[in-house]
Order: sequence, then C-alpha cells, then structure tokens
Amino acid sequence: MNMARRSGIVLAAIFAFLPCALPGTAPAQDASAPVDRPAPDVARLLERFDELYESSGTAAQIEITIVNPRKTRTLRLRTWSKGEDKALIVIETPARDAGTATLKVGKNLWNYLPKISRTIRVPPSMMMGSWMGSDLTNDDIVRESSYEKDYISEFIGHSAQPPGWKLRLNARPDVAGLWERVEIVYAYDDELPVQAQFFDRKGRLSRTMRLREVKDVGGRRIPTLTTIIPEREAGRRTELRYLSVEFDIDLDDSMFSLSQLERRR
Amino acid sequence: MPSTSTLRIAWRNLGRNRKRSLLALGAIAVGQLAFLSTTALLNGYGEQFLNSVTGPMVGHIQVHATGWRDDRSIDLALGEIDAVLADIRQHPQVDHASARVFAPALAALATDGLMSMVVGVQPDAESHPTGLLSGERLTGKLGSHRVLVGSGLARKHDMAPGMEIAVIGQDVDGAIANDLFTVSDVIDTPVAVVNSLGIVMSLDDAQELFLMPNQAHEIVIHVKDREILDDTAARLSRLPLLTHAEVLTWQQIAPEILTFVNFIGVYKFIILSIVFIAAAAGIANTMLMSTFERTHEFGMLLSLGCGPGRLSKIIAVEAVIVGLLGVVVGTALGLGLVSLTSESGIDYAALGGSGSAYEIDYKGLRFTSHVYPAIVASDVIAGVVAVFITSIIAVIWPMLHIVRLQPMEAMRS
Repeated sequence: MNMARRSGIVLAAIFAFLPCALPGTAPAQDASAPVDRPAPDVARLLERFDELYESSGTAAQIEITIVNPRKTRTLRLRTWSKGEDKALIVIETPARDAGTATLKVGKNLWNYLPKISRTIRVPPSMMMGSWMGSDLTNDDIVRESSYEKDYISEFIGHSAQPPGWKLRLNARPDVAGLWERVEIVYAYDDELPVQAQFFDRKGRLSRTMRLREVKDVGGRRIPTLTTIIPEREAGRRTELRYLSVEFDIDLDDSMFSLSQLERRR
Repeated sequence: MPSTSTLRIAWRNLGRNRKRSLLALGAIAVGQLAFLSTTALLNGYGEQFLNSVTGPMVGHIQVHATGWRDDRSIDLALGEIDAVLADIRQHPQVDHASARVFAPALAALATDGLMSMVVGVQPDAESHPTGLLSGERLTGKLGSHRVLVGSGLARKHDMAPGMEIAVIGQDVDGAIANDLFTVSDVIDTPVAVVNSLGIVMSLDDAQELFLMPNQAHEIVIHVKDREILDDTAARLSRLPLLTHAEVLTWQQIAPEILTFVNFIGVYKFIILSIVFIAAAAGIANTMLMSTFERTHEFGMLLSLGCGPGRLSKIIAVEAVIVGLLGVVVGTALGLGLVSLTSESGIDYAALGGSGSAYEIDYKGLRFTSHVYPAIVASDVIAGVVAVFITSIIAVIWPMLHIVRLQPMEAMRS
C-alpha cells in the first residue's frame, strides 16, 4: 500500500503545502492545558494522517470556493488520482470553464483548454503561480512530500483553539522545500487533524489550513471541508469541500495521459 | 564704476605683457569651455535619461485604479475607459494619453507554456515619437487576434511572424482566459520587459480575452509642459470619472530616478566649482606675477601721489577684463562645440572603443549610449557669473600686496 499513500490529490497536496493563517486566529498555547491528558503517540498521529487518504485509486467530486476581497467564485471539480504521482482534475462547472483539465504526472503539470483545444505544460517558472485562480499554487498540485521523510516531528503541547494536541514538524535540514516547519493540531477525541499552519523559510506564518466537518464519506471518516487561508493576503481564502469520495478503486494508468486528456471532450 | 582713464590704463597694462595676458585669458576660456561642454553632456544625458523613464513606459502621468500598483491584480481596472480618455485628452496640457492592459500569461507555440506578459495597447495612441510602439510600422499588424511579440521572447522561443500562439491567463473573474493569436511581427521596443516577455495585442483583443469591456489597467499621459506637471496631475485627478482612481506623476512612480535626475544638478555644481578653482588659481597667478613685476613702477606711481586705492582699482579692472574676455571666448568656443555635436549626438560607446552603440537596461527601461549635448541659458549665465566672481576674488592677494607697498622700498627694488 505504500505506493498508494495519500492519493487524494487535491487534499493531499493541500496537506503538503498549506500556507498561512489569519492573525489573531492562531491557536494560543494553553498554559492550563488538560494536565490529565497523556502526551500523544506522535508516530501514531502522523500515521493516522497518512492513512486518512491512503488509497490505491481515488475518485472525488470537490467544490472549490475561492474568495478574494472583491469576488467569490465557485468551481465544481472531478478528480482522479492514483498513487502519489498521477492525478487528473477536470472542471465541471461553471459552464465557461467546463472541460478545462489539469493533468499531473510526476513533476509535470499540463492544462487542457477545451476552447482552443490545446494542452499546455506549465513551465517551471510558473509553478508558484496560482492554480486556476485559487490559493493553491501549481506547485501544491505537483509536489510530493512525505511528513515522515521530510520532517522531524515532536509533540509541543496542547492547543486551546482549536483544542487538541499540537505537533511541530521541522523540515529536515537537507530537504529543499517551501516550509521551515508545519504545526498541526489533532483533535483529542478522534485524533483527526483540525488545523495545520505552515511557516516559510523565514519562520513567518504563511498559510493556515483548517479541516472541519468530519463526515463518513467513501467508507471513511474524514474532514470534508478544508479552508486554506494565505496569511499575507488579506481577505483571501479557498475552501475545498468533498461532495463525494471513493477510495481504493481501480483506475487505469491510461487515464493519466495526454492523449486521454485531449480525448475527453 | 572705474573711470575711463582707469579702464584705459588697465587695458594698456594688459597689453604690456601680451603673452601672459593671453595665457590667463586662455586659461579662463578653457575653464568655461570645459564647464559648458561637460554640462551640455550632462544635460543631454539627463534628458536622455528622463525620456527613457518618462517616454514609452512610464509617461509623465499615470492613472490606475487605487491599489492596482500593489500586486497588479487583474480585476483592479479602470472602468469607462473611452469616456475617461476623452476627458483626459480634452485637458489643454495633455499631449498624448493612451490606455493599457497588463496581464501575466502563458504563451504556447506547442505544448510548452512560456511565461509572458500580455500588453494591451491602443496602436494609434502609442505610435507618437515617445510612445511604446513608435517607429513600428503598425498598419494592420494589431487587432483581430494578431499580436506583436517582443524580440527577446521571440528569439528565445523561435517565434516568427505567421505562427499561431495560444495565450492563457486569468480573466477578471478568476476564470481561465485563453485564445489563439497569430504573430504578425516581432518588435523591439524601448522597454526591456516588453521585449523579453511582451505579447502586445490591441486593447480590444485584450479586453475581450480578459473579460474587461471598456476597462484598462493604466492610462499613460504625456504632457506638453513638464514644468507644471504637478499642477496638471492635480487638475486631472479632479476629473469626475477619476474620483476613485490614483493619478501619479513619474516622480511619484519612480522616486529613485528622480534622485538620479536631481543628482545631475549637484554634479554640475561640483564641476563648476572645480573648473573655477582652477581658473581662480590661474588668474591669481597672473595678477600676482604682474604685480610683483611692476613693483618698481607702482612705487614710482605711489610716490607721485597716486593712492593705493587707485592702484588696486587698476589691478582689479585688469583682472575683470581678462576674466570677462576669457569667458566670452570660452562661451563662444563652448557653444560652437556643442552646436557641432547637438544635432548628431555623441556616442559614448564609440568613444570608449566598443565600436557600436550599446543600450543598457535598468529597471526594465532601456538607456542608450548615444547622447545629445544641450546647453541652456542658465548654464552660460552660471559660467559668466562664476568667472566674474572668481576674477574679483583672485585679485585680492595682489591688491593686498599693493596696499602694503612702501614707495621708497618699491622704487629701489
């Protein structure tokens, strides 16, 4: 199953790369933390995190709401992913963008544009650019990262808001990445992650991700609403909501090919 | 005022050692010549610089939607652009006004996307001499999905006229903007960023692509009189349609360049000082020598009843005559030299031996090695005044010498 780790592409990608949190909403370290609670098993929490989306093949329907200070836009997507390195995202609505697709194979990203029937590879120089106008970057979609491999984790205490255990994941010195550290809060009861905060290489809080609305979908109990808040861009956020998910389904490799991308419509 | 006789005596005295008088005069003339030609070059360079800055890209005044300059959000556009432009062009001080759309985009010949920047322009409004597209033969090259590609972008990716490129960006709603365009020509503009990244299309095409009907991100204005720029900008900002827009002068947009332009004034002053310290030393030397030489004569005059004041006056008049004649000759030479070069200009690159003219890019603007020297009246006046003052100062030492002369001792020497 290792090959199939964290294959819910959009969500997994988000987990790997969430940016900033809003000032004032950062979980305060609670001095009067519940002393009766034992320290958590860090390894188990992280494993739980990875297991959440572990799947040999995943298909999902996701609604993305992109909020900026002047506009709100909602997209409905279908996504398929297989393993860590193959994913396909197709926009269903709004009608204007329908059929626009993003294909990820390994570190490459292509966009298919039905209006002009062209497939364009996103150049490395544009990887940090916004994906489809959201607060996710193209890099978020492409990047593969493993918490186990890339970070050294430790339990650093209790978070008051949201309540839960707080783990700090420090990037290993030899790993080139966007983040210096990630702080994740796990709920006490179901041990699910509820918040992740990403600090850039200068130690500044860069993006906050909140995971809410835990529901049973696709036979698993997972957070179904993810909010990404870029901390240094006031008034912006992106929300991703799972409308449906199927885990461990069989997906053909040929699905993730350029020719298939262009044949879809 | 010195009496006529003093003038006559001073003039005759100068004639008594013509070689030395001419040398002193020559030193001053060369000083003025050096000052004028240097300031002419500086003026030319400053003008060139200012034109590079305010010319095609920045203009004298820019209008944006408030906040656009912070992160160039595509949806922060100016609306009712046709009406706004019409209002702006009605202002008597406005020479040219043109609207532009800027948007980052991917351009693709085949599968690989290339980072680029769409610049939507009004071809007619950009073809004046300081416009973005001046010198380009634009007839029929823009509009109807035909675009011009910057020379750098074209060279790097082998784009040539006739090719079809896909342009993909994000429209004002955040949705994907994409369309196909035909490359009608490759352009080399005075703006580096346009050459390296630019896909220049008609404003209409850009408005359609990015879903911004009758909108634009920037209005660039060139004024007739730069001296009253601030006033013109203030007046424009009071136009009803621009109430919520940001109207800025180039000084506000590029303050660091303003610093540079101001520095040219300081530089001029420094050169003026150096030149005239040298001139003062020359005049002082001449006058001192001629005074010492005539010590015997002065002693005679003093004992005949001529007061030291009269003698000092004669010396001073000699100095002023030498100074003024020198400055007149220097100014004539300077004006001559500058007028010889002001038409064709001077190419620094050729002087430095690089053979061909070069252009350097700084902050996305292009500066050339070709400079057109120019003299302004205030520089000539500054030179004349400085020489006059220098002549007076330079003569103080010889004067002090005369005042202290003892007639008997002087005659004996």
